[in-house]
Amino acid sequence: MLKSTFTPIFWVLTPKPKPPKLPPQAITNTFFTSSTTHVRHNAPLNPTTPPPPSSAYIHLPFCRKRCHYCDFPIVALGSASTQTNDDPRVSNYIHWLCREISATNVDQPADASTITPLKTVYFGGGTPSLVPPRMVASVLDTLRLKFGLREDAEISMEMDPGTFDAEKMREMVVLGVNRVSLGVQAFQEELLRACGRAHGLKEVHEAIDVVKLCGVENWSIDLISSLPHQTSEMWEESLRLAIESQPTHVSVYDLQIEQGTKFGRLYSPGEFPMPSETQSAEFYKMASRMLSDANYNHYEISSYCKSGYECKHNFIYWKNKPFYGFGLGSTSFVGGLRFSRPRKVNDYINFVQNLENGLVNSSVKGHISGKDTIMDVVMLSLRTAQGIDLKSFQESFGSSVVLSLLEAYKPYVESGLVVCLDEHRRTIRIDDLNSSLSKTNAEGRVAYIRLSDPEGFLLSNELIALAFGVIDSWKDMPPYKEAEAT
Amino acid sequence: MGYLSKASKTLRQSNYLSLLCNSNFNFNPLTNRITHERFSVTRALLCSQTRQNSTTREKSTIDLSQYPKELVRNFSIIAHVDHGKSTLADRLLELTGTIKKGHGQPQYLDKLQVERERGITVKAQTATMFYKHGVNGDDCSDGKESPKFLLNLIDTPGHVDFSYEVSRSLAACQGVLLVVDAAQGVQAQTVANFYLAFESNLTIVPVINKIDQPTADPDRVKAQLKSMFDLDPSDVLLTSAKTGEGLQQILPAVIERIPAPPGRSDSPLRMLLLDSYYDEYKGVICHVAVVDGVLRKGDKISSAATGQSYEASDIGIMHPELTPTGILLTGQVGYVVSGMRSTKEARVGDTIYHTRSTVEPLPGFKPAKHMVFSGLYPADGSDFEALNHAIERLTCNDASVSIAKETSTALGLGFRCGFLGLLHMDVFHQRLEQEYGAHVISTVPTVPYIFEFHDGSKLEVQNPASLPSNPKHKVTACWEPTVLATIIIPSEYVGPVITLVSERRGQQLEYSFIDSQRVFMKYRLPLREIVVDFYNELKSITSGYASFDYEDSDYQQADMVKLDILLNGQPVDAMATIVHSAKAYRVGRELTEKLKGVLDRQMFEVNIQAAIGSKIIARETISAMRKNVLAKCYGGDITRKRKLLEKQKEGKKRMKRVGSVDIPQEAFHELLKVS
Repeated sequence: MLKSTFTPIFWVLTPKPKPPKLPPQAITNTFFTSSTTHVRHNAPLNPTTPPPPSSAYIHLPFCRKRCHYCDFPIVALGSASTQTNDDPRVSNYIHWLCREISATNVDQPADASTITPLKTVYFGGGTPSLVPPRMVASVLDTLRLKFGLREDAEISMEMDPGTFDAEKMREMVVLGVNRVSLGVQAFQEELLRACGRAHGLKEVHEAIDVVKLCGVENWSIDLISSLPHQTSEMWEESLRLAIESQPTHVSVYDLQIEQGTKFGRLYSPGEFPMPSETQSAEFYKMASRMLSDANYNHYEISSYCKSGYECKHNFIYWKNKPFYGFGLGSTSFVGGLRFSRPRKVNDYINFVQNLENGLVNSSVKGHISGKDTIMDVVMLSLRTAQGIDLKSFQESFGSSVVLSLLEAYKPYVESGLVVCLDEHRRTIRIDDLNSSLSKTNAEGRVAYIRLSDPEGFLLSNELIALAFGVIDSWKDMPPYKEAEAT
Repeated sequence: MGYLSKASKTLRQSNYLSLLCNSNFNFNPLTNRITHERFSVTRALLCSQTRQNSTTREKSTIDLSQYPKELVRNFSIIAHVDHGKSTLADRLLELTGTIKKGHGQPQYLDKLQVERERGITVKAQTATMFYKHGVNGDDCSDGKESPKFLLNLIDTPGHVDFSYEVSRSLAACQGVLLVVDAAQGVQAQTVANFYLAFESNLTIVPVINKIDQPTADPDRVKAQLKSMFDLDPSDVLLTSAKTGEGLQQILPAVIERIPAPPGRSDSPLRMLLLDSYYDEYKGVICHVAVVDGVLRKGDKISSAATGQSYEASDIGIMHPELTPTGILLTGQVGYVVSGMRSTKEARVGDTIYHTRSTVEPLPGFKPAKHMVFSGLYPADGSDFEALNHAIERLTCNDASVSIAKETSTALGLGFRCGFLGLLHMDVFHQRLEQEYGAHVISTVPTVPYIFEFHDGSKLEVQNPASLPSNPKHKVTACWEPTVLATIIIPSEYVGPVITLVSERRGQQLEYSFIDSQRVFMKYRLPLREIVVDFYNELKSITSGYASFDYEDSDYQQADMVKLDILLNGQPVDAMATIVHSAKAYRVGRELTEKLKGVLDRQMFEVNIQAAIGSKIIARETISAMRKNVLAKCYGGDITRKRKLLEKQKEGKKRMKRVGSVDIPQEAFHELLKVS
């Protein structure tokens, strides 16, 4: 009782308003210090209530047409639809979306003055920039009414070239949108066409101009590597043009061919016209090199930013913190439960009605199992440059798992895929690691484990799966050992 | 005890089968009449068959003392695989009313799933039939009561792996039906079986079966039988077990041509142990043939092989299921339940006698000889206990497998198993999977070699890994087991077959024509060379027309070397093989190429090497994996991404690991295919 009453208070009082241009070190460290407390809350031995989310993801599913690689829950309006003011499909959806937000059960203290206001809001899609600003305003109003919204909240919106002009951009800024993620994907007309984008190169340049003209300081360019027919010259050009546009953030996504997409039917990974595994590894390395040379920090596997411009909302995901999710197909992580909403509009409307009638509860109190938490933490932490913070990790899960993880990673520390860092984030040399591993408090000296950039990041799946194996065997001893004993 | 009760569970299936068969046993005049019409049998047979049925009805009160040995015939059916042995046995059981036509399952005597699927017999079975027959041309129409005969059909395994078991089963017989397919003619196993029977001085009743086939050519087959075995064409019976044609001649021929068993009823008891199996309720059940004397229920009996004593708590005949009779007389064949705990105590070929008497053991007893060895490991390392149980339960029913625990660095804890031969090994694997649901990795089968070192010491090697790669003392000599192989092929395939056999280091001993189209060849072959994939290759180069059989022969000196497989410098013990030095380079290259094909790329470069001692003879490299990254991770993806990675982890878990190299299970299966 006491704890559940006090936790939210603690959470309201602690957040220090962060100036946008803090050095990255300071920011990531702050994140991880606070995550310590949180992770422990989720640990199997202490199943207490996690703090309520202070982030919300809003799914705005409308697109002019579906891109060939996309398997997201979207609603294609038709290529002609650049103006959606009067489209009933859009207004109807926004109506249900607001009803969902309003009907959501909130585990907030009764005293409204201690409520946790939202610190980040992310409009993802789909193409959120297709939605008329007045409708975005109604969503933000609903959020404000329900949860509160901090003055300095990060409000991001994914925007696609060809779906907004300066006027629309200005209206969005007035509403509070202060971070734009621009879906450029490529700087080559033929590649934009090949992946079924609804815009051309001209619209890309126009959109960049509009964003800068409207004074959006914090904005990102999204690029996709390993597109069919993409050459290394094209990729270099895309990176160069992106850097020349001077965004504060660049996201580089390596194309995944998903089943059920047009690409899934046409292509297989690594086979012509898709780049080979070696080529696409080279693309990844080229991005890492060029963007680092241009002073972008490679702070997560697919994310780069100028100092202080990390996407705070995405960091919520990578820190395994709770977040609300609203709208078609969106996922929330509330009360330790990951909950996905229906991906079809009619099912979603049913869901909202049921929610209003109290028939579903998307934030059921249930504590996530210890194993799930530890795997999530490992998977998400290793995606970041920060890596696993062993101190908080050990506090939550014990030192034996840390030791076995270090032991399993040792060959890869040696081959340079994994890096061990001390508390001042200085690299620990392999010899020092060997000698400290033989001592009892080895895990005390190693403060962080991270994957190297770019080699370790490139093999992150393998390395994370290896860590999962360690977690697994740490949980249950291999039975053949028992057999030996009998 | 706990283990015994577990064993019984798995046997429920076969027990269930017997229940099925028993329930078919109820007398049903309607089916019986249909049977008669279908068979369109002679009046004499009709007459006798009606009597058979009345016998059936009274089966609970079978009085064996009515059957002195003069009225007993013990015979076996021998044939090449698929020549119709099991169907013929079914027909004889139906004809005598022992089972009902159309009710029992086909291949009545083949009780194991593996036997039915492969059309082979692995375990010996016996069945007692009663048949009325007027000797010297009498039939029942003249009003005179014809004597009723007790016929024991002893079904033997047909394959060379079980030749010892076959020889013991034949030792209980005085004659055989030699069944040959009317279209295929004499095949390799026909030859082997003929000689087994001939050398045991058995009366041979030749039967040409499947004469209903459009391609049947009985005259040609008769000529083959004459030229190969000097069997008189006028003695040959023509049948079709499928249509029933000619079946009525068989049992009269059995009674008239095959002599009664020769034993002495006034001598002390001597019984030959034919086979045994484990029953959930009764324990070990032994099939026996009473050679001399009389066995009564409650008698104290002893085994000549083990010296252990038992009490015959239940005895009877297989008619066709266990039918207690309380007594077994000279020449009769039946079962004994005596409180044995495991079939390991029941050695095939053993002599059983009255405990306080002194008898000369029956000749020919040999302990099982293991010719093929392979390592069996749980596919998932954590399943060792499950595999251990499965093997214990299976060996309870198949005592001829030798089992020893062994450890492999690559595969963990497992077993080194010795088998009588290749088929035996295959059948054992199949039964493990089918009857016990075990998933195993089997290492490349090997044969027992003998190595001699410079200091004069000798080492028998059943597992290549146990031979040191760099021994302290130089190897001075090596001996390997050989076989005498019989190959029968249409003459147009002689060329490719000779090429194949010489590649396998074969030495031709005999070459002759069976008739104008078929060639008979005899070879001495190293056993090692036929252990892996020989028969499949032989069949494929002869479009399936070759027939092949072999018998064990002597050890011969050979220049054998140990071939190690190394992954990043670490030897993989489970992949070591012993090969002839002349073939080492080729095999080394094949193995490394195969491995390159099945090993996944890893986070580092993998070197695959084949080595003899410290000399590398073949090498392949798998370059390091370049990229495996999920490049985007939004809130909504977390669960999906984690599942993907967990799946990847599960994949890794199923792999075997040597050093830091992960080896998929398929790698071991693939290596089995390299000779």
